[in-house]
Amino acid sequence: MSDASERLRRPAWLRVWGVALVPLFGTGAYLGLVWSPQDVNQGNLIRIMYAHVSVAWIGFLAVFLTALFGSLFLWRGKRRDDVVSVASAELALLFSSLTIIGGMTYSRPTLNTFWTWDAKLTLTALMVAMLVGYFIVRGLIDDPVRRGRVSAVVAIVVAASLPFNYLAAEWFRTLHPSRAIALDGSGVTMAPEMLLTLLFNTVVAGLVYGWFLVDRARLGHVEAQLEQERAELELQSAPTAGGVVRV
Amino acid sequence: MNDLRAVLWIARKDLLHETRSKATTVATLFFSAITLVVLAFAIGQDERLLADAASGALWVALAFAGVISAAQSYQADLEDGAFDALLITPVPRAAVYLGKLLANWLFMLVLGVLMLPVTFVLYGASFPAGWPYLIVTLALGTLGFALIAVFYAGLTANLRARESLLPVLMFPVVVPILLAAVRASGALIGSDDLELAGGWLRLLVGFDLVYAVLCTAIYHFVVEE
Repeated sequence: MSDASERLRRPAWLRVWGVALVPLFGTGAYLGLVWSPQDVNQGNLIRIMYAHVSVAWIGFLAVFLTALFGSLFLWRGKRRDDVVSVASAELALLFSSLTIIGGMTYSRPTLNTFWTWDAKLTLTALMVAMLVGYFIVRGLIDDPVRRGRVSAVVAIVVAASLPFNYLAAEWFRTLHPSRAIALDGSGVTMAPEMLLTLLFNTVVAGLVYGWFLVDRARLGHVEAQLEQERAELELQSAPTAGGVVRV
Repeated sequence: MNDLRAVLWIARKDLLHETRSKATTVATLFFSAITLVVLAFAIGQDERLLADAASGALWVALAFAGVISAAQSYQADLEDGAFDALLITPVPRAAVYLGKLLANWLFMLVLGVLMLPVTFVLYGASFPAGWPYLIVTLALGTLGFALIAVFYAGLTANLRARESLLPVLMFPVVVPILLAAVRASGALIGSDDLELAGGWLRLLVGFDLVYAVLCTAIYHFVVEE
């Protein structure tokens, strides 16, 4: 029993990491909301961008790490890789959902619509759909090894499809220019304060992602051990039933 | 060389099974035709609108039929345990994938060519002068679609709720294929714009190449028992 609670205890360094996130997040918010200057065109609305873009970048990072750890699982077959991969997939779903919410919040006042068929927004929406599919498939397979392999395969296909989805959505728009203003940031030269704020917020978002990833992987590891122990217990009780049949 | 023969034999087996039972052929043929009719109803009577929607409707019909045909190609094998036998045979799993891919691709391509005149008649679109390019678009688009469909159908073949799961999984992945195919054929049907179609065709080629390599490489993880 004490063993179980010991396993569930969060290690000290992880707790320090978690506590340190609070002032870091506060600093990021301060930089974005107070310190950084207003935008020439968008005024204070530019401040949404710091939260939105940083979360979006980390969301894409999360998808690629999901595929990376999935590939490691296919290669080495270690349960730990699958656990990290799922943890990352959950965060990818969270971050990309937040990206869509942030994107809609941002585009309502700037573009006067909640939804545009902008390449990046379309890409993120498709990513959410694919990640939901990933979790549906995972839920349908009981055997841990097969579940890990199948979800790794799905994660790899998802990650590979992102560049194509982006290209297609981008061309879809540029070949048929709509009235929407291009807000992709590439044309906008950013003030150094703004760039610094954005980068700081991205680093904080990355640290938040990393903290959740480690903590979720830790829980997932305990979960996997529990599942294995349960399977072994069932195996132990199975021979008696088999014996009755044989007699 | 032997692997190549295995691919051809598996494709032959699937096509032979299909030509004898005709289960999928009849269903998908009428299903795609009916999809075209229903979509035409949904769009209404505006002739301009109908002609513009022709390429989109064609690909929607093909996509729905493609999902059915890919799922059926595994279903027929699974019913008698033939798929297990197929996996036991000493050929690489990739050959099984490529064989099924070949069969499904040919099936979809024939279906697409058959649906072309239906689309032109129902949607009142003018037959384009650059029709060979339209066939190329059909070939590349159905190849990309079949690549993903056969791959994911193998993954979902022995899962619960596979009928609804397969489209949920694969449609977000094939969006670039459908988008590129619709745009390319739209440019050909509507305005004979070869330059515009060419850009989309290049995207199709890139997609087909990347997924052909990727899916062949990791297919054996999908069907492992």
